[in-house]
Amino acid sequence: MKSSTWLIVVVLALGGLVGTASAQDQCYACHEGLGGKPVELFRHDIHRAKGVTCADCHGGNARTDDMEKAMDKGAGYIGVPKGDDISRACAKCHSSAEMMKKFGSSLPTQQFEKLQGSVHGKLAVSGKERIVQCTTCHNAHGIVSVRNAASPVYSLNIVKTCTKCHGDPGYMRTYNPALPVDQLEKYRMSVHGMRNAKGDAKVAQCASCHSSHDILPVKDPRSSVYATNVPETCSHCHSDAEYMKEYKIPTDQFDKFARSVHGVALLKKHDTGAPACNSCHGNHAATPPGVTSISKVCGTCHALNADLFSSSPHKKAFDDRKLPECETCHGNHEIIVATNQLLGVTQEAVCSRCHSEGQSASGFASARLMRGLIDTLEAQEQKAIALVEEAEQKGMEIGEAKFRLRDARQARLESRTMVHAFDEERFKEVVSKGLGVTTSVKEEASNALDEYVFRRLGLGFATLAITILVVSLYLYIRRIERRQAKGAK
Amino acid sequence: MKTRLSNIYDWIDERVHLGGLVEYMGKKYVPVNRHSVWYYFGGVSLFLFIIQVVTGIMLLLYYKSGEEFAFESIHFIMSKVQFGWLIRSIHSWAANLFVLAAMIHMFSVYFGKAYRKPREMTWVTGMLMFFLALGFGFSGYLLPWNELAFFATKVGTDIAGVVPFVGKSILIFLRGGEDVTGATLSRFFGFHVAVLPGMFTVLLGIHLLLVQRQGMSEPLHGADESGTEKKTMPFFPNFLLRDLLLWLIVLNVLAILAVFFPWELGVKADPFAPAPAGIKPEWYFMFMFQTLKYIPGKILFMDGEVLGILVFGLAGLLWTLVPFWDRKSSRGERNRFVDYVGLFVVLYILALTIVGWIV
Repeated sequence: MKSSTWLIVVVLALGGLVGTASAQDQCYACHEGLGGKPVELFRHDIHRAKGVTCADCHGGNARTDDMEKAMDKGAGYIGVPKGDDISRACAKCHSSAEMMKKFGSSLPTQQFEKLQGSVHGKLAVSGKERIVQCTTCHNAHGIVSVRNAASPVYSLNIVKTCTKCHGDPGYMRTYNPALPVDQLEKYRMSVHGMRNAKGDAKVAQCASCHSSHDILPVKDPRSSVYATNVPETCSHCHSDAEYMKEYKIPTDQFDKFARSVHGVALLKKHDTGAPACNSCHGNHAATPPGVTSISKVCGTCHALNADLFSSSPHKKAFDDRKLPECETCHGNHEIIVATNQLLGVTQEAVCSRCHSEGQSASGFASARLMRGLIDTLEAQEQKAIALVEEAEQKGMEIGEAKFRLRDARQARLESRTMVHAFDEERFKEVVSKGLGVTTSVKEEASNALDEYVFRRLGLGFATLAITILVVSLYLYIRRIERRQAKGAK
Repeated sequence: MKTRLSNIYDWIDERVHLGGLVEYMGKKYVPVNRHSVWYYFGGVSLFLFIIQVVTGIMLLLYYKSGEEFAFESIHFIMSKVQFGWLIRSIHSWAANLFVLAAMIHMFSVYFGKAYRKPREMTWVTGMLMFFLALGFGFSGYLLPWNELAFFATKVGTDIAGVVPFVGKSILIFLRGGEDVTGATLSRFFGFHVAVLPGMFTVLLGIHLLLVQRQGMSEPLHGADESGTEKKTMPFFPNFLLRDLLLWLIVLNVLAILAVFFPWELGVKADPFAPAPAGIKPEWYFMFMFQTLKYIPGKILFMDGEVLGILVFGLAGLLWTLVPFWDRKSSRGERNRFVDYVGLFVVLYILALTIVGWIV
């Protein structure tokens, strides 16, 4: 037999099966005649198409047209399921791989389990049922595939579905008064939201970031929107070159971010204070920051640097040239640890990109001077640390000097911040404060090392004196005893 | 020079009759035998105690008791006071060597049966001084108010609190309340610099007087070894000069320890911080601490820890009263049982102390 003939046979057989199942649903047959919304919706329900009968959820006997028998409580008729019984009725099939296979579905079977473990699986204020049931999002009758545009959980509809509760302040107040209810408004302002509104089903909507059944609070480390998980959540789409092809934006942001100082702090050191994607781009109102706003974004954390820069001569120069402020020197996604090498006039220094000895002599000289000063401060700090460590290793009490090393470090950090003022005098002032500290620490550590030598020398002399005394005493005792022995004889 | 010295001597002699004492000392002899070396540990203990008194007084000039000041004042002594580091280090090292020397002295007296009649009182006063020395160590350990000392005191006083009937009262008395606080520090300071030294001085006076009056004991088995004439040496100047020689060596060892292994101050105690890992008592309490750790929670109908403390208490009492139950030695007969008990105690202390430091 040819393969096409086989296919026709299989399709006809399946059609016959479905037809038989539907034909056996006497509940539907009678209620169809009676009319009403549920039966109207159930006509196009994916479950009906798969052979699920009314009785599979409502109980009773679907094979009889006798109403008494069909809706006999003794035969298991439950009527409209209430509370958690709704989700349990769904779970009868959706949590059973065997049942799902029987209906020819390849859907996962952990949704109920996930829902119970999610923030929506907590007890409702009534204390009798969970906050969300399957029907809350999927509806009860007229359920269609998630890929069907009629589904309330279809990509373009899901935002509205979630907003039914999340946009209702009166309702949300009963569960989480601190949670904003303007996410939809914000979302509609974001690139994702605008595209979604225009019918782009590929862009991120609520479930893309928060997941669907296993939604967890943002503070839960297992949540897909927990600070350390955000970059990976965004990268699901943004690192997928094929998926992002039509949007014509780079897809290497995650890799770059993971290498950056922020990425290392967040992803490797698990420092939740470090910025994730949403710290700069926003979350519900996710929008790429522009040239004029980038310093404001960085300035939310690096406030002092941003303030100094804003009052520096560079501000106007950058604005005139339309250069993004922080990004020009530090980059964006791949911001590496700012070292002294960024400053100065060497090849790797960012200053030399604009300042050269011939074209911008004063800026060039300032950059060279500042680099020299900060290098000196760092070298002096290292010397002070080495001396303190040496003294400490030799068992000297050097706690105070060690404590003051913090001041030296603080001064060095201050000087690095002060670079953003691009003001020689203010920079020199901070550096000289640091140099003052390192000088006094070095002096104290050197004194401790001198004291160490003095103690050893002192011990040497004392030991020598005591040893001489011991030997003399020993000889004296021998002399006495020899004399006593002679006297005795 | 000589005339001036003899003039001074004559001046004093005229008033307090030194002649009698010098004549007495001149006639005093110390037995010489193969165990003579142990005689010197009493003198070494005395020397170390004198060092403790002198360095302790020097530390008192700068030490401030109290939760807010104790740690800081020791830090000041070690970093700012001229030679403060040396004095504090010597005080701490000498304290440990003092307990060690006293312990060696005690065991040498025990194995030599020197406690036998007529020296029962000398032994008892010595034992009481040894207990006081442990008290000095325990109370002095807390005075720097550092983390280790704080928690060791907490554990130590907790153990005292387990004693049946009176434990709770002892704990409250030692701590000055329910917990180890500044009140405990003040109390321990008082014990360390006033109560214990006062008691110790009285006992030391009696102990030395008895030693001088009764002379050195000879080992039992040495006395009847042969019929030959017993070897002796004059106490003055021979024995005293040898004592002095050993004292100088001990002083040198102390100086080396203080310079090469300065006693650390550690971290200031924080009553709200969790106990750091590896809290250990001073080495001389280690065997008891370790025993209480290994003892089962319940033995028959009694709490294991309570039983352990009672056994240690009883053992200490029996040890102190050995001259009164070892009748054989008093009669001049060999008592193997006492030797075996002593040997067991030494091995037990050594083994448990080593285990305590290794585990």
